[in-house]
Order: sequence, then structure tokens, then C-alpha cells
Amino acid sequence: MSRLQIITKGILKENPTFVLILGMCPTLGVTSSAINGMGMGIATMAVLILSNIVISMIKNFIPDKVRIPAFIVVIASFVTIIEMLMQAYVPSLYASLGVFIPLIVVNCIILGRAEAFASKNGVFDSALDGLGIGLGFTLSLTIVGMVREALGAGSIFGFSFAEGVMPLLFILAPGGFLVLGYLMVLFNKIAKR
Amino acid sequence: MKSSLKNMVLVLFTITAIAALLVGLVNDMTKEAIAQSRLDAKNAAKFSVLSTTATEASVARDTTRTIGDFAVTVSTVVRNDDGSTVGYAVEAPSITKSGYADRIILMVGFIEKEGEAIINNIEVLSQKETPGLGANMTKEGNSLISSVAGKQAKILKFSVAKEGGSFDALTGSTISSRAYANAVETAYAGYLWATGRLDMSSEAVAAAPTGASMPTDESNEWEPEAQEGDMTNE
Amino acid sequence: MIGMNIMSILVADNISSEVLNGFATGSVGVQTITLVAIVIGAIFVNNVVLSQFLGICPFLGVSSKVETSLGMGMAVTFVMALSSIVTWLIQTYLLAPFGIVYMQTITFILVIAALVQMVEIVLKKVSPALYQALGIFLPLITTNCAVLGVAIIAVQKDFDLLTGVIYSVSTALGFALALVLLAGIRERLETEDTPKAMQGVPIALITAGLLAMAFMGFANVVPLP
Repeated sequence: MSRLQIITKGILKENPTFVLILGMCPTLGVTSSAINGMGMGIATMAVLILSNIVISMIKNFIPDKVRIPAFIVVIASFVTIIEMLMQAYVPSLYASLGVFIPLIVVNCIILGRAEAFASKNGVFDSALDGLGIGLGFTLSLTIVGMVREALGAGSIFGFSFAEGVMPLLFILAPGGFLVLGYLMVLFNKIAKR
Repeated sequence: MKSSLKNMVLVLFTITAIAALLVGLVNDMTKEAIAQSRLDAKNAAKFSVLSTTATEASVARDTTRTIGDFAVTVSTVVRNDDGSTVGYAVEAPSITKSGYADRIILMVGFIEKEGEAIINNIEVLSQKETPGLGANMTKEGNSLISSVAGKQAKILKFSVAKEGGSFDALTGSTISSRAYANAVETAYAGYLWATGRLDMSSEAVAAAPTGASMPTDESNEWEPEAQEGDMTNE
Repeated sequence: MIGMNIMSILVADNISSEVLNGFATGSVGVQTITLVAIVIGAIFVNNVVLSQFLGICPFLGVSSKVETSLGMGMAVTFVMALSSIVTWLIQTYLLAPFGIVYMQTITFILVIAALVQMVEIVLKKVSPALYQALGIFLPLITTNCAVLGVAIIAVQKDFDLLTGVIYSVSTALGFALALVLLAGIRERLETEDTPKAMQGVPIALITAGLLAMAFMGFANVVPLP
């Protein structure tokens, strides 16, 4: 697989949301608006790249049976450290992305990539994989957020285009399931062709 | 790598120890900076909720009332040139109602006009509500703030509109909105307390309305009431 | 006192007795939420999967058969009950007294992972029958974010140990209920002629959406903790 392919596969062929079905909890939880989806996607991408790098570096020292607990500890410490650093030195960025950071710990996408890619590949390729999957994740979350925001609040990225009462349901929990479900159908249709 | 009990324990212990050490180090390193940036934000809010700036005015005194684990701090803000009072910035948590996830802490600015306190502006200092729903309380011009800003505090009813209150709830977030109203109520009580006008005698407590935690007159309403003109959050 | 205008004491008739009482006594009265409210709230009103979006991966992954979903539900209930006790003890006697609450996520994750491994080993020795039934689900629970999420929520809400355990078990029962309901519907869907692009996860998500809508009928039944 060429280096470029590692990046691009995350967007379509191995899209984490629509194909790998990873990281569903944040996908549904934060996509009540487009900007939130994007924020979560970017925060996840940053953690994903870093954790992939570290895990591919230490993979040879970890016995198979404690692989998962070891990876989890590495990821959780990473997330905690990034949260603290952001809060201390870039408070304005933290104000907008901060709420998503703790959610990343429980995002199985990070562990999933650590297992499936970083524990078998080199440092550079793992970083690229993190970038690709992260991009795919950001893209899908933004799309889900955009659809939910447009249907439920009549706006896109906060710019309102429809007045009056909109079906709030799409912002609430059931709308998350429904929109993601139908988008997945659409993705399957398009990918088939 | 092949696993044996010895290397499993050893590796896991080493990784955990390194991780704990790193997190501890970073925590020590950033603790002060985090506290400082929180304090800066709080201090800036004291002036901005009174529509003034740190160059034009300063805090003459802080009066704090501790209630259980919470603290209500009333800052008297005075103009630098003539020493006259701009107003009162009150930092108050929602003491009797939690939001969806946690207590909400607000900074509420009261300006006195002809002896009556007017709510000038409100800023959210701390909240952990759901992004896109309750967290919309931090947006400028949201329905909660626009329903009370510029109004006399003494005529407000501190609950959401569908329970007969003065606050237009955020779309889909009745619980967060109730907590917000509760924090503004606490702030108003704090302002009255600091200016020596809060009657805290047992008769007054007995005569006061009860802030029921749940509406009693609605049976099975799943959808928080949508206010007209409330659906677009700009 | 402070302020420009000296007025007589004013009875602010719009301040509730709870807030007034707080200022008068310097403490907030204990807000009692009955255990019934906690149980119903956690199972129906605030269902962990259908309204809090936790544990979606096993919800979609293990919900194709009622039998397996029952097993998974039981395993999660078991682990959540245990982990809520252990995490409560760690929080109260280790993290809080030493001021290292920032280590919460790391410790909780590690403890849950270790607990799951231990349960697996003990179960294998003590009750092979139960191990047969739950065994394959146990490793999956390590990556179930609902377990960690609930442990953190229980600590955040300042529950005492008993309330915390009841809350965790109810949440787990809510998870099991949602899982079994979805599995029941998906079993029926198997025999239907679903469009190809919808088969599998998409139709499960749409079904879950309809379930979540039904669960919204429980909103406002009890006050939330």
C-alpha cells in the first residue's frame, strides 16, 4: 500500500463511521450541530495521530495478553495530558474543544486503530493512518452534524436559513440514530456504484 | 512478544508508572496556569457583565457567602474616575437545581437604576451541559439571556416560561434552563444579601414560594416547549 | 450597608424558600431523590444507550440474536455492579484524599480492565457453566464505554456507595433492556425483505431511532438525579 493510499483509504474505503462502524458513541453524542461534529473530529484526529505514533513505537515491548490494557493506559494518559496542556496554554481553543476531550478516552476508534494498524506497522505509516482515519472521521461527523442541524434547527454552521418551528427531534437522541442510519444507507448505495 | 506472567506484570506496571508520572508532572506544570486562566476569565467577566472594562473601573470589594459547598461572591464595581458604583457582579452557582450534568455557575451583572436592580448581562463561567443543546447557554443572545436582560430583577419569576417563569428555555433543554434560572435567582438573592436587603427571617422563608423541582400540572410532555423565535440560535 | 440607597429591608417575594433558606442557614438542604426515582430514571428516562449514547458499539454489535443479547446484558450488569463498588472505593479512599482526582480516568479504566480479566479467571474456576454463558462477552466489556461512563457519572453525582451501586445496576438493566428489545426486532427483520443497502447496521440504527423515540415517552416521569 502506498503512503498516499494509507491516507485516502480512511476517507472512503475504510471510513471509520460508515464502513468500520467505530466510535459510534461520540458520533451520535456530539453531532447535534455541524461545528460540534467538526470540533470532535479534529480533537480526535490529533489524539489519534499521537497515540498511533506512540503505540507503534512501543509495540515490540508489550506482551500480547496485556496489549489492550497497556494501550488503554497510554491513550488515557495522552488525552489527560493534552486536556491539561490545552486548558493551561490555549484556553480559547479549550473553551471550544474542551468538552470533547474527555469523550475521546471512551472512543473505541483510537483503541481500534491501535489494535488494527499501529501495533503492526511502523511509526511513519501509523501517523499517516491516524491522519487518514482522523480526516474520514472529521468528515463524517461534520456531515452528520450538518444534516441534523439543518433538519432540527434550520441552520448550517450556525447560519440560519429557515424560520419558524423545526422538527427538534433531529437534534435530540432519536434523530441521531435516524440520521446516521439513513446516511449509512446513502453511503452504501454510493459506494456500491 | 510472548507473554509470561513475569513480563506481563512488569510491562504493565512500567507503563502505568510512566503514564502516572507524566500525568502528574504535567499536572504540576499546568496547575497554576489553569488556575490563572480561570481567574482571568472570571475577573474579565466581572467587568463585561456590567458593560465596562478593567481600565475604566475596578472592584471595590468582594463579599462572599458560603452556602454548603458553594460560594456566592458579590463584587462591587466602581468607576475609576469618580468612585461611583457601576453595579454589582455576582458569581453564583445554581445552588438548589443541578443542570443536566453538573451545577451551572454564572456571573450576573446588576446595575441600579432609580433604586431598582436591573439585570445588565449574564455570562456563563462553568457548565458541562450537552453540546448543541444545554451548552447553547454560552452563546451570545440565546433565549435565556435575551428573555431577562435589561429587566428589573424584582419582577422576574425564576423558572422557565412553561412553568410560568420569565425565562424562555433553550430548545430541548428544560433541565439546563431551570438550573440557569436558579443560578440567576441565587445571584439576585446574593446581591440583596450583600446590600443588606435580604430578609432571611424564618417568617420570610416560610412565606416564600417553593421552587418545585418538577412541574406538577403537566402529565406526559416529552418535548420541552418550543418557544416561537426560539428555534434559531444565533 | 453597601450601596448608595439605604432602603428598609425588602421582602423579595420572587426568591424561593430553598434559596432564601440557603442564605439564611449557609447550607443547602439535602435534596432527596428516592431510590425508585433513580431506578426508573436510569432504566427508562435516561436510558444509557437510547438517550445518553453510551455503549453503542456492543449495542449494535451484539444485538442480532435475543439469546446473545441477554448474555451480554447479564455480563454488563455483573461487571457494572462490581466496578461501581471498586471505583467508588478508589475515588473515596484514594483519589480524593490524596488530591489526585485528575488521575480518575486512567485509574478507572485500568481497574475496569483488570476487573474484567479477574472476573473471567474466577468465573472459569468457580462456575464453568456461567463462564460458558458469559465468557465470550467479557473481553468485549473492556471496550464498552458505558462501564467507564457510568462509573464516572456515579462519582460525579456524589452518590453514596449503596445509591451508586443501585444506580449502576439500574443503568446496566437499562442497557440490557435496550439491547434485548433491539435484538427482538432485528430477529424479526431477518425474515423480511430489507433493501440491500439497508441490511445490517443501517436498519439497526433506524430501528434504534424509533426505539429512542418510544423511550422519550418516559421523559418527565421522575425527577432526574
